Amino acid sequence: MNQIDLDDIEVASSSVVRAAARDFAKALAETPQFKAFESTYKALKDDTSALQALSAYQEKTKSLRALLMLNAVSEVDRTELERLKNEYMTRSTVQACAVAESELTALCHETAGMISGAIGLNYAASCGASCCG
Amino acid sequence: MPLLAGHRAVGKDMKNTATLPLELHQATENLIENLLASEAFLTYQQSLVAMNSDSEARGLLDLLSTLQAALRHKQNTNSVTQTDVEELRAIQEQVQANAVIMAYSQSQQGAVNFLREINMEISQTLGMDFASLAKQNTC
Repeated sequence: MNQIDLDDIEVASSSVVRAAARDFAKALAETPQFKAFESTYKALKDDTSALQALSAYQEKTKSLRALLMLNAVSEVDRTELERLKNEYMTRSTVQACAVAESELTALCHETAGMISGAIGLNYAASCGASCCG
Repeated sequence: MPLLAGHRAVGKDMKNTATLPLELHQATENLIENLLASEAFLTYQQSLVAMNSDSEARGLLDLLSTLQAALRHKQNTNSVTQTDVEELRAIQEQVQANAVIMAYSQSQQGAVNFLREINMEISQTLGMDFASLAKQNTC
């Protein structure tokens, strides 16, 4: 067995690793994908019509929650729910933000994949991010 | 540039990526080099090597895995016996008493805990949770 003596090799202190982590975050924040997400997210937050459309959809969903759980929503309500959802989803600010988010998550997934492959642990799973939440 | 080098041994070689911006690629490599050179990951690497070269430890884990799979199968057919449960429990106790396996398990948890701290550092700088952005959306 090749026993590794930690005294014989150069160990990166916690502060050095944290500095590398901050450098990594700064490099990520400088990418076009991150900047696009930031700007589209801000535009979405400033789009009061989009927020009203979202609020209307959420209110309708809330009012129908029990019926939705029982899969007993009327055709009229289902159509209205779909209309409210489309009203929100088809807003240009929403679509732009969704595209930017998708591109940013792809970039983050790629970098996390590099880290996972090298360290032998799944980065996202180890840090508590499951695929469903 | 990596602050420390020469510790790449835990996982696979890093993939070459054509799509990452150069600065981000370098920062990612630098982070990897430093993670692998951290005490938590060096200890994890050491215990992984120890476990992989310990036939008793590997045999116990293989046996535990086999028994767990067999028990799951029997649960589906409602045919679990008291002997099955006792056999599994005995192996679990042997696993928990095995110093090599326990050292590996504890070092892996130590590496995970350290990785979570590093993720918090990244997320605080970024202003959003990096691990959540990095997760594979499969649902």
